[in-house]
Amino acid sequence: MNWIQGSWAVLQKDLKLEMRNRYALNMLLMFVLSSLLLIAFAIGQESVSERMQSALLWIVILFSASIGLGRSFVAEEERGTVLLLQLNVPGSQVFAGKLIFNFLLLLAVDIVALVVFALLLNMVIENWGLLIASLLLGSVGLAGATTLLAAIIARASNKGPLLPALLFPLLIPLLLSVVRASRAALSGGLGVSGAMGDLQTIILFSGVVITAAVLLFDYVWQD
Amino acid sequence: MINLRRYTLVRNTILVWMTVVLFAAFLLNIPKINILEHTARNLYFHVPMWFTLMAAVFVSAYHSFQVLRSGDIVRDIRALQAARVGAFFGILGLLTGIIWSKFTWYVGTDVWWNFDPRQSMVSLQLLIYGAYFVLRGALDDPNKRARIAAVYNLFAATTTPFLLYVIPRQMESLHPGAEGNPAFSEITHPIMRLIFYPAIIGFIGLFWIMYTQRVRTALLKNRVSHDPEL
Repeated sequence: MNWIQGSWAVLQKDLKLEMRNRYALNMLLMFVLSSLLLIAFAIGQESVSERMQSALLWIVILFSASIGLGRSFVAEEERGTVLLLQLNVPGSQVFAGKLIFNFLLLLAVDIVALVVFALLLNMVIENWGLLIASLLLGSVGLAGATTLLAAIIARASNKGPLLPALLFPLLIPLLLSVVRASRAALSGGLGVSGAMGDLQTIILFSGVVITAAVLLFDYVWQD
Repeated sequence: MINLRRYTLVRNTILVWMTVVLFAAFLLNIPKINILEHTARNLYFHVPMWFTLMAAVFVSAYHSFQVLRSGDIVRDIRALQAARVGAFFGILGLLTGIIWSKFTWYVGTDVWWNFDPRQSMVSLQLLIYGAYFVLRGALDDPNKRARIAAVYNLFAATTTPFLLYVIPRQMESLHPGAEGNPAFSEITHPIMRLIFYPAIIGFIGLFWIMYTQRVRTALLKNRVSHDPEL
């Protein structure tokens, strides 16, 4: 079994399990919807600046990622399938499969959050390409960091609220860059050319985070 | 294991050195600068605390790396104690900076916290160490704790360098040496630099004493609690 086949098998297994009960997906979407509604009700009729819009959008995405994606390795422990995975698939392939699965979940979150947010807050999107690029690239980095930390908290004895506390300090560079890039996409005009630097930062950040995560994953995964 | 006589010699040298630096910092005449006046002496304390935090971050990350390489649990104690003492110096540096800037740069305003890049960066580093301590508390088995805490410490160390690039683009700084501001050596009088550089060495030495003492205490505690026969 080569590397791609192994990762694909892990991804396929997770997708199949997810399709059976849709637990992670439903929980994520419920969290996104309810937090967005909460924000919309709290803000009321007032118009929100582009900076606030992109900040709120990303904070919702970040919180739902920290709540929904933390289960990916905890679920393996609960089902007692960790040993089976460790025996059958090398660590890097487990990581790749889980990473892609988490990325797909985040894509669903991105789409729902963007559509609902645009409707509720009357968001005007000036530059679709930039917004989609920042959402996609931001989700890659977010998935990379969350997957490693999810493996870490699966090892801890008190799993519940640990992931947000571990995740947020690490994601500040990413958050600052994606908020700036999405703000430029919302306001259009001059900011767009400046946003290229932010996109480069996001790409670099995602690359470094995923590389470090792959290197460090085996130490968390193997007993 | 360690040469106790050499250790005592180095420790005493640092203590004498630090005492001399402290006396010089308060007693030597300094040129009068507008607004700053005698608060300029805070330069000898506030800035070396940052250098100390940076040194501590490097020591902690280095020992975390060694935990993963060798699996030696002593390295984990070293990484933890370096992080703790580093966080202590970081909090001190943050506080001295906040108070100093409130009454000089931001005098006449109600601003205490002003999103200065360096202030933001150090508060994030403190948050990371906070998360590191919380994570350690959630792991029971010492070997597992050593390994997993080391992974988190190293993972955090790979993301923080981005702050150096990202944050200054978002916020403006009044610190010397920041973008558009004059460099430190241009605006500081030679007599102040004469105390400032020894103060950096003294503070890092102080960190080293606190860190090694804590490591030794932790090792002793470890031995007592794991072998009740002793």
